[in-house]
Amino acid sequence: MATREAGKKMIMLKSPDGMEFEVEEAVAMESQTIRKMIEDDCADTAILIPNINSKILSRVIEYCNKHVPTTGATGAAASDTVAPAALAEDLKIWDAEFIKVNRATRFNLIQAASYLNIKGLLDLTSQTTIDTISDNSLEEIRSFLSTKNDYLPEEEQTIRRENQWAFQ
Amino acid sequence: MSTASFRFRRRLPRPPRPALEDDDLLSEILLRLPPQPSSLPRASLVCRRWHSLVSDPAFRRRFRVHHRRGPPLLGFSDDHHRNTFQPALGAPHRLPGGLFSLELHGSYTTLGWRHRLALFFVPVSLQVLVWDPVAGDQHRLPVPPEFRLDLVVDSGAVLRAAAAGDAGDHFQVVLVGSDPKQPTRVLASVYSSETGAWGDFISAPISSETFFFTGKPAVLAGDCLHWSVAAPGSGSRSILKFDLDRQSLAMELLPGDMYTRGSPAFTVTRGEGGRMGFFFLSGFTAQLWSTVTDCDRAEIWEPGRIIELDKLLRLHSKKDPPHMVGYAEENNVVFLWTVVGVFMVHLESLQFKRISKATI
Repeated sequence: MATREAGKKMIMLKSPDGMEFEVEEAVAMESQTIRKMIEDDCADTAILIPNINSKILSRVIEYCNKHVPTTGATGAAASDTVAPAALAEDLKIWDAEFIKVNRATRFNLIQAASYLNIKGLLDLTSQTTIDTISDNSLEEIRSFLSTKNDYLPEEEQTIRRENQWAFQ
Repeated sequence: MSTASFRFRRRLPRPPRPALEDDDLLSEILLRLPPQPSSLPRASLVCRRWHSLVSDPAFRRRFRVHHRRGPPLLGFSDDHHRNTFQPALGAPHRLPGGLFSLELHGSYTTLGWRHRLALFFVPVSLQVLVWDPVAGDQHRLPVPPEFRLDLVVDSGAVLRAAAAGDAGDHFQVVLVGSDPKQPTRVLASVYSSETGAWGDFISAPISSETFFFTGKPAVLAGDCLHWSVAAPGSGSRSILKFDLDRQSLAMELLPGDMYTRGSPAFTVTRGEGGRMGFFFLSGFTAQLWSTVTDCDRAEIWEPGRIIELDKLLRLHSKKDPPHMVGYAEENNVVFLWTVVGVFMVHLESLQFKRISKATI
């Protein structure tokens, strides 16, 4: 059963590798996927999150904990006295630190953010990936994303010709 | 809490494949590519899968909606030279002029560009043409029947529907006109691509003095479209304002003392907070005005910054002052013709760039 601690409703999330995370319902509901489950079916049991290992799930919870609206949340640095602009700036700095992870972790976070439908985290992780590659050459992009060039040379030439201006 | 009570919920969606193998996730990432027009052609070259993802019309639509705030300024087109296009971005984002050329037969009037759509009026067929040069779409719409009988098309504007999501593809056309037999009112009608129909006419009274539209495209600021209108009798200038939210039309006179020093060129601007402002140009001096709302919710005018263009743009010749050739509301950039070429000047930062050396 979900418990109540200090007036806050708690919910249990479980990763497939057997770790359990007890989080406030408000924090868990940063995930639209979990929110929908709770709203549809008064989540009276723990929720297994398939395919997201404990290491990634703990990072996701860390993100949600920081980003949950501050009223009634724990862990957030902000209070009612902090101006919204300062709060946004604080979150931006926190996000920039949060996303300093290796490539594999970042891709796992993208996958988790998409699956759990956490828009802010999906924005952060996807945008960081794009920012990393957008100034690189095609070869570097392919290598970074472990993608192979499967064009025949003449096909590649055709595409270059069609949009010649973009490659000058 | 006991761990024995786990219930495997069937409603949970299937776990996705690793991020880069899943087309939906890769699309989600590619959506964040920069909005510059070269982004997608370059991404297409990575591999076939990327090409197929970024070529998908649904992806293109989402890409446009995602980048609705802060689209890049691609350049401007010059109606007097058969829609020639002057690119504003540097390589590799510089679009070639040919990409934005449209062959229209017979006479036509360019009514304006907005949200990467162009609007033309073709009087012979009594149609308006909405052109999306990036997607290559053309929509020809017959004007409302009233324009076939009594009314004259004075101006118009095109814009994409405000709502995000799938509605991002829909557009609206606002046509304004007048009835030569009843010169005391001006009328507007709105077409919505969502309903595929023109709405009822909305009218506004005007003074009996004759007026004409200056031919400048409308400027969208706040929720209103603004056209500049001149009355040759008194030399006064007015603004015809169409409120998209309230669907109302009104004619407002500009502050009269703007005309003491000859007749400055001006444009409505989209100033701070999206509010309507003005840019006046007289000789080598430009002045910005803004509107503020006082405690009675009335709009009042405030003079703002004065810009000495000869100093800013380092124009040495005192003979030929700059002409204003256009204004890009989404970027708050004014285009100025000078003897040394065309400049674009950002009205907040005053950063400027010469985009053409040739005179046009």
